Amino acid sequence: MNRQHQLSSGVLNAAPLKRPYVALMMDVIGRGLEAASQVDEKIQNEVKNLPDGFMFDMRALPNGPCFVMQKDSSGCLRYLGKTAPRKPDVSLKFKHLNHAFLVLSFQEGTARAFANDRLLVDGEIAYTMKLVRSLNRMESLILPKFVAVRALKRYPRLTLTEKLADGGRIYTRLAKNLVWG
Amino acid sequence: MAAEFTRVSRKTWFGVNTMTKAYYEFFCPVKVVAGNAALEHIPFELRNLAASRPMIITDKGVRGAGLVDHVLGAFAESGMDVVEIFDDVPPDSSTTVVKNIAKLYRDSGCDSIIAVGGGSVIDTSKGVNILVSEDGEDLSQFSGVGVLTKPLKPFFVVPTTAGTGSEVTLVAVISDVEKGVKLPFTSYFLLPNAAILDPRMTLTLPAHITAMTAMDAMTHAIEAFTCMGKNPISDAYAVSAITKISQNLIKVLNAPDDADARLELAQASTMAGIAFSNSMVGLVHSLGHSLGALCHLPHGLCMNLFLPYVLEYNLEERGDIIGELLLPLAGADVYAKTPAGERGRAAINTIREIRDELYRRCKLPRTLSETGKVTKDQLARLAEMALDDGSIIFNPVEVDLDDAKAVLEKAW
Repeated sequence: MNRQHQLSSGVLNAAPLKRPYVALMMDVIGRGLEAASQVDEKIQNEVKNLPDGFMFDMRALPNGPCFVMQKDSSGCLRYLGKTAPRKPDVSLKFKHLNHAFLVLSFQEGTARAFANDRLLVDGEIAYTMKLVRSLNRMESLILPKFVAVRALKRYPRLTLTEKLADGGRIYTRLAKNLVWG
Repeated sequence: MAAEFTRVSRKTWFGVNTMTKAYYEFFCPVKVVAGNAALEHIPFELRNLAASRPMIITDKGVRGAGLVDHVLGAFAESGMDVVEIFDDVPPDSSTTVVKNIAKLYRDSGCDSIIAVGGGSVIDTSKGVNILVSEDGEDLSQFSGVGVLTKPLKPFFVVPTTAGTGSEVTLVAVISDVEKGVKLPFTSYFLLPNAAILDPRMTLTLPAHITAMTAMDAMTHAIEAFTCMGKNPISDAYAVSAITKISQNLIKVLNAPDDADARLELAQASTMAGIAFSNSMVGLVHSLGHSLGALCHLPHGLCMNLFLPYVLEYNLEERGDIIGELLLPLAGADVYAKTPAGERGRAAINTIREIRDELYRRCKLPRTLSETGKVTKDQLARLAEMALDDGSIIFNPVEVDLDDAKAVLEKAW
């Protein structure tokens, strides 16, 4: 009885909050990655080696929140919203909304999610590795260090100046993209 | 060993105690049929699956060594015959080869497949099984993760090397030569129904191949045990595999016709395969896959080259876990006499000693320069390729381009 009560209060009651949180974070990550691909040299180097028109998405199965991105003609990543115009070249799929929540609330890193079989890849692995590195780089730039260390296996060697300058440029670009589309 | 999994980390996150616990999955439905006269169990096992018209898929080398004869002999007095034999699987198989074999299978009215060979034969057979079970012609339609949705035809694997572990893995990689791409296939339905481990099948394996493939299995087990996907069940398989290889590899090189020791290596390979297919592998494989692709060196040799250098790279982060390997590698006496803080380094030194012994006995290269097939100007490219290999994400320590280059320099 007590255990059942604990389960329902600990898991089920939190569920309504998880979906909007995951949806919001997916939006932030997608738009953040778009902005980062416009300003950060390391992410640009990763994106450069993806095929033209390359498309990927991240989603929570079976029909949870998602975002879709595509490499545009300028060589940057473009946030396409929640609908893919065709089957993406790479699809990153969380098996359950709760698994997406664990990662996007920084309780579990991306690599750990892969190791725990919570995050599936459908598509070319080499491209996926470039995307994962880009996501890691973006997170290290825009998140406070004490948050980023929870998401990454190793926090990169970043000076405070780099962090503030690059992170600031990404946030500025993110704001511009939100305003002007 | 169990510390990582029994520990409950109590992390506070904005004042909330998140109490994260480890999670893992483990799956291996392959029936292991192992030991003396194991081959003779095949007809009975086929009947259990309502099959009676098997096709053997193998290569010229295996057939030339007389190993297929052992399998055919097992069908004598069984009331069942092998209906067809295809013995021309190339070292790097292709979708064209798969399609040709599938046609032969259908034309001959076969109802099951027995793969007799190493990695290429097994992967090819998995491809054939997809086509004949799905009644398809274009193998690329079935490439990817989870595309297959129903059980395939009865499929047995008889490994003729003790290293790849492909008899218990759910993946296959087959080249599409026309499109110039390698097609990956991942599905639980690709797992064989049974793996047949018979000491007769590895008895004539030459010393250098025995050594190379054993180090392949050793690396599967060690990476399964030390990388991010480790779990208590795969750990048990990995430790057993390492123990068997440590205790029997040199024994087999001393007495190649020691059937018991050969069987121990075959079992170790299968156990390592079960371990790594559930826990995945790490940087040794990332570097090894790149080296194999760029310089066309055998996979087992690549594993032997990089193993100690990657463990050194991971030592600071995984010292305690690597230290536990000293017990299966060197035995209880050495383990007990070595202070806990020194066991990680001692385990790596033991691996180095095994490699030195293999170099002395069969010239199995220990460094990139000893291979004579790698140039120093290829190291930068190798590092880049390794970063794009999927296994790198399971390495416990993050690896960037400079890190990968540094490991390659050490392995030079």
